[in-house]
Amino acid sequence: MTDELHLGDFTSNAFSSANIPKYYGETLVKLAREKAEIVVLSGDLTPATECDLFRDNFPNRFFNTGIAEANMIGVSAGMARSGDIPFVHSFSVFLNRRALDQIAMQIAYPNLNVKLCGFLPGLTTLLGVSHQAIEDNSVMRSLPNMAIIEPCGARQIESAVRAAANYKGPVYLRMHRPSTALTTKDSLLPLEIGKGQLLVKGNDAIIFAMGHMVQEALTASEELSRKGVKVAVANIHTLKPLDIDFIIKHSRQVSAIITAENHSIIGGLGSAVAETLLEGNVSRKFKRIGIEDTFAEGGSTNFLFKKYGLTSTKIIDELEKLLDSY
Amino acid sequence: MPNRPNTISNEELEETARAIRKNVVRMVARNGQGYVQQGLGAADLFTTLYFYEANLDPEKSDWNERDRIFLSTAHNSALFHATLAQRGIIPIKSLATYTKDGSSLEINVSERLGAIVEATCGSLGQGLSVAVGVCLSAKRHKKNYRSYVILGDGELQEGQTWEAVMFAASRNLNNLCLMVDLNELQVEGHTNKVMEMEPIEEKFKSFGWKTISVDGHKFTAMRNAFDLARNISKKPTVIIVKTIPGKGAPSLEGKMSHNMVLPKKAAEIALKELELL
Repeated sequence: MTDELHLGDFTSNAFSSANIPKYYGETLVKLAREKAEIVVLSGDLTPATECDLFRDNFPNRFFNTGIAEANMIGVSAGMARSGDIPFVHSFSVFLNRRALDQIAMQIAYPNLNVKLCGFLPGLTTLLGVSHQAIEDNSVMRSLPNMAIIEPCGARQIESAVRAAANYKGPVYLRMHRPSTALTTKDSLLPLEIGKGQLLVKGNDAIIFAMGHMVQEALTASEELSRKGVKVAVANIHTLKPLDIDFIIKHSRQVSAIITAENHSIIGGLGSAVAETLLEGNVSRKFKRIGIEDTFAEGGSTNFLFKKYGLTSTKIIDELEKLLDSY
Repeated sequence: MPNRPNTISNEELEETARAIRKNVVRMVARNGQGYVQQGLGAADLFTTLYFYEANLDPEKSDWNERDRIFLSTAHNSALFHATLAQRGIIPIKSLATYTKDGSSLEINVSERLGAIVEATCGSLGQGLSVAVGVCLSAKRHKKNYRSYVILGDGELQEGQTWEAVMFAASRNLNNLCLMVDLNELQVEGHTNKVMEMEPIEEKFKSFGWKTISVDGHKFTAMRNAFDLARNISKKPTVIIVKTIPGKGAPSLEGKMSHNMVLPKKAAEIALKELELL
């Protein structure tokens, strides 16, 4: 689990001293060397969105557009129309809530090659309700042309950013920053847009999880397997386009289905899977885990995840209830 | 290579504006209601922009070196389509389909029409930001094309406009030319009744822009303004263009109506007046 707020990101000289790995920022720099069209826009959150590394390597391709998200989206649209590939940075909540009309009309409708890179997903911030993006996936999912990608942690950040850069069209990249570095034991995870990723097999139940909740799902599956319950875990890194065939195929093989997301249970992964199952004539016991239609408050990620039920314990409880209810 | 300004006399501009105005009246009359007042009001500005100033290839509207024209007031669509048709960018015949179901000539101009629509701007206050992005990229790629934005004065009430105004100046975008169509007209009537916006020129000046105020019905003044804007270094330019709603048809002139009812009879009178202009 991570805490995404680092005081070192908010120094007065805009140079980050946060002592955490910057997999996102490093990948962006690598990609920029490969693709001269990549430009970066930041809404005055440069270190906190890790694009300070890009700024320092490519100052002529970096644009701090100030604390003005609506304008930043329009500017990125103009640059994309001119052949550039803008990566636009802010906290998720400010992209989605402040600039939705601009995103809809200037990015999604003309299907432009803009990457919207939103940080602080869900309840991953001390900064409180004003900074917590709990409905971003729901809102973005209903925009035609928009793809939504959320890597499941440090192991998948590079492949997620790379996939977004290689995809032609608008992408909402929902990013969270790991607090700890990968170790040699950790294998990197690939990411193919629109493809579900089965991480653990199991015939009793399946957890479809996104982002932070993938790790919680893996922990839950491991604990349940000790009790003899075999729970599959699928990483749905692409909420849109959703891998419908994958969801239906794996749901048919189990008797209970859980969705787990660091997001409102309304309109995000849980809703998308429910729609898919119903229209695919798959009838199984089903439970959505996520933020239960409530606003939260400022607090550490650990505290908030426990309070709002975004934990492996919650997944286990709900799964046992489903499986016991024969 | 940039090919602007175009060679055209004031008499030719006047004749062209008259033909465009007639089409505006015909297009709106077919629906019995529409944005006829703004259309007639800004016809001289559009004519100067499309026939004198802008570097366009009517045969190839997606020509990469073209000047970019953004219609932020996307509802001024009768005028926009009539101007494009007059310039040979879309067929004159297509004007008959304006606002009809299935037509790409919509009441709010959309890019379904083609590459000549640089952004879809029905939601007010968005056009300038996109143009700013185009100007930034043009500088980055050392392109000579310019961006022109037609903004309604009502759009000065949108916060995003000022975000873009501040940013454009801070980036020294002298390849950006904004025209504020000062018709003093918005949905609920005279702009003054809704919100006092003056002094507009001073506002832009204080944001670091080159400002020019012109009479939107004087071709020489507008040509001079474009000439001046083209030669400004390090600053974006705003041309504040005072226009009179309904200009050209005395029976409509000065009527402050945003989406005006235009009965057949009134349209016939206006068309006759335009003949005599």
